[in-house]
Amino acid sequence: PQNLKCVTHNLHKMLCTWDVSSRGRHGQTDFCYTTNDLTPQVCFKTEETRVEIPVPESSITVAVKSPGTASAIKEFVIHQKDISFVPVTPHILSLTPDFPTSTLNLKWSDNGLDFPYGLDALWQIQILRKEAMEEVTKVTYYSKLTHENVILSWNWTSDMPLECTSHYVKIRCYINATQFVGPKDWSDWSPAEVIPGKDTEPGGSGVFPLDTVVAVGSDVTFCCVHEEDQRITNMTYGSKSYTMMQLSSRSHAIRVLNASASNSSGTNVVCRLENGMDGSVVFVGYAPDIPQNLSCETSNFLIIKCTWKPGRPSGLYGERKTKYSLFERISSKNVSCEVNEINRDRVCGFPVLPDQKTYDFILDVSNPIGQAQSSLLVDITQRVHPKPPEKLTVTGNNSTSIQLRWFINGSFAGIRILCQIEIISGHSEKKLQNISMPGGKFSSYTAQLNELHPNTKYQFRVRCSAADHFWRWSDWSRGVDQTTSEAPPS
Amino acid sequence: MAATDSPSTAVRRRDLCSRGIRLAGKMRADVIDLLDTYVEQQGLDASATVGVVEGVPLAAVERWDEQTGTQRLLENLVAYRAFRALLAQMLEEQREQLGEADAGLGRALAAVLLQVSAFAYHLEELLQLESRGIPSEEGDGPPPLPRLSLFEQKLRGLGVLRELAQWAVRSARDLRQLSKPS
Repeated sequence: PQNLKCVTHNLHKMLCTWDVSSRGRHGQTDFCYTTNDLTPQVCFKTEETRVEIPVPESSITVAVKSPGTASAIKEFVIHQKDISFVPVTPHILSLTPDFPTSTLNLKWSDNGLDFPYGLDALWQIQILRKEAMEEVTKVTYYSKLTHENVILSWNWTSDMPLECTSHYVKIRCYINATQFVGPKDWSDWSPAEVIPGKDTEPGGSGVFPLDTVVAVGSDVTFCCVHEEDQRITNMTYGSKSYTMMQLSSRSHAIRVLNASASNSSGTNVVCRLENGMDGSVVFVGYAPDIPQNLSCETSNFLIIKCTWKPGRPSGLYGERKTKYSLFERISSKNVSCEVNEINRDRVCGFPVLPDQKTYDFILDVSNPIGQAQSSLLVDITQRVHPKPPEKLTVTGNNSTSIQLRWFINGSFAGIRILCQIEIISGHSEKKLQNISMPGGKFSSYTAQLNELHPNTKYQFRVRCSAADHFWRWSDWSRGVDQTTSEAPPS
Repeated sequence: MAATDSPSTAVRRRDLCSRGIRLAGKMRADVIDLLDTYVEQQGLDASATVGVVEGVPLAAVERWDEQTGTQRLLENLVAYRAFRALLAQMLEEQREQLGEADAGLGRALAAVLLQVSAFAYHLEELLQLESRGIPSEEGDGPPPLPRLSLFEQKLRGLGVLRELAQWAVRSARDLRQLSKPS
């Protein structure tokens, strides 16, 4: 026996192999080993030229006697430094595709149970593609072994739809066993796991990605999967023809760089074949901007009206348009807002809740490309913006005073109301008179104006707001004219 | 035609036919305009060849001369009922895909749908004149349309509008034929 070599896969047991001359190949070999002086020698017979024995702390003495009476015993002293450590080939537990996002999810076991706690492990993951299994990328993933078998998970997003052609994944590992002094090496590559492309399916055809949404500026790969006997003449993106790459005998692709915004019906990706055409539509738009100037107020203590500035239009419409929802943290109530992408007025109504003054709003804005939020904490009693007073009428009149009455639509019972009366007299002298009063529930309010001039034509109008924590005046009511009566003869 | 036409029936038929011919002419002009808008708005190639679209009756007919008046009316009615359903589907898809954007195309589509519905009603009036029962709508409408990809929807829309333009021409010819004294 010669060229004795030992390899361990788990730092506990090692596999030793040796060469024998052709003469010594048949019959049983006597094999003995001792790890150190204290432990008894272990012997056994084997038909093969390989044995599995423990990995020594420092060294191990091995005696091998080949078959045949004339052969001598050959002794070897194997030091740990002579033993190579090659981890077991990793086993892929699952490879799961997510077609809408072109993402592969890989799961495998780290076989940590075999190793002491805390060793660093490196995993090399190789992605291959096309019929020729060309390498797309090789990624190194780091983990720490915990003396337990842990399932590791890793995601990879392809730069082209998974339907376009088959994707293959292999994995190998390297364990940095710092205590082990022998040479350490990568494990073998695992067998390749495959996610078959549509170009391997009988009858599989189409343009991919199908009817997708991407951000402006994206680089996108589109592919056309067709029957084997069909010849592809060209592929266009919008009105422009692109150079095609062949992925397989049934799949060709084009690469669109820095995609610009599409029109409302999307950009057509058309694959022209000898006897027909196939296509897809891609919608290229923007993620929503963070809503600016979020502001909320109430005009009637029934509905809170929030408004904001939307920022750049997303360029997405219909079922892809930007959606808005208003979430109120204290009550956990959520309201979705109906917003017209064209006339761009941004308003959302939220009900005033019983016994709740403070509202912690989050305006959530999302579309298929992205999502943004704005928040606002507001005491709604400090955001009262009433509707213009209605039914302003004169209810009492003499030579120097007039009584006015008006109605405000809303439920203001919890606050004081401040109203401002504009008094314009015939010779265009304008005066403003403020008056505050307890708020009412859908009620009318009155005011007495004194020190007027007799026999004088006056024009009145009124506007109101909250008395405490002024926020905004209502618009002016409609005006009302009234002439004071003549002064009584003195 | 009915073997012995009373003078009033003949006058009534000629009146309905001439109004139908005018309606078909207007419909054709509007469909042609709509086609241009549709092709541009959907980013399609005006010269794109579109195969036979499922559910779209073909205007081309063999031995056109040999058809009876009732056959003409019945074939027309089946076609315009089918177009009514297809245009309604297109309008629904338009709203789904574009929402408020390009309301112009939506309005044009709705206008043509209105004309197609009016023309179908017109054909029913003519059939009543032939003292022919009007075929019920159940069962003979186009089969439920398969869920198509967006590009296939665009192509189908193109096919529907092209074929509708052809039918408008054929309908005018059919009505002229119908209005000839037998």
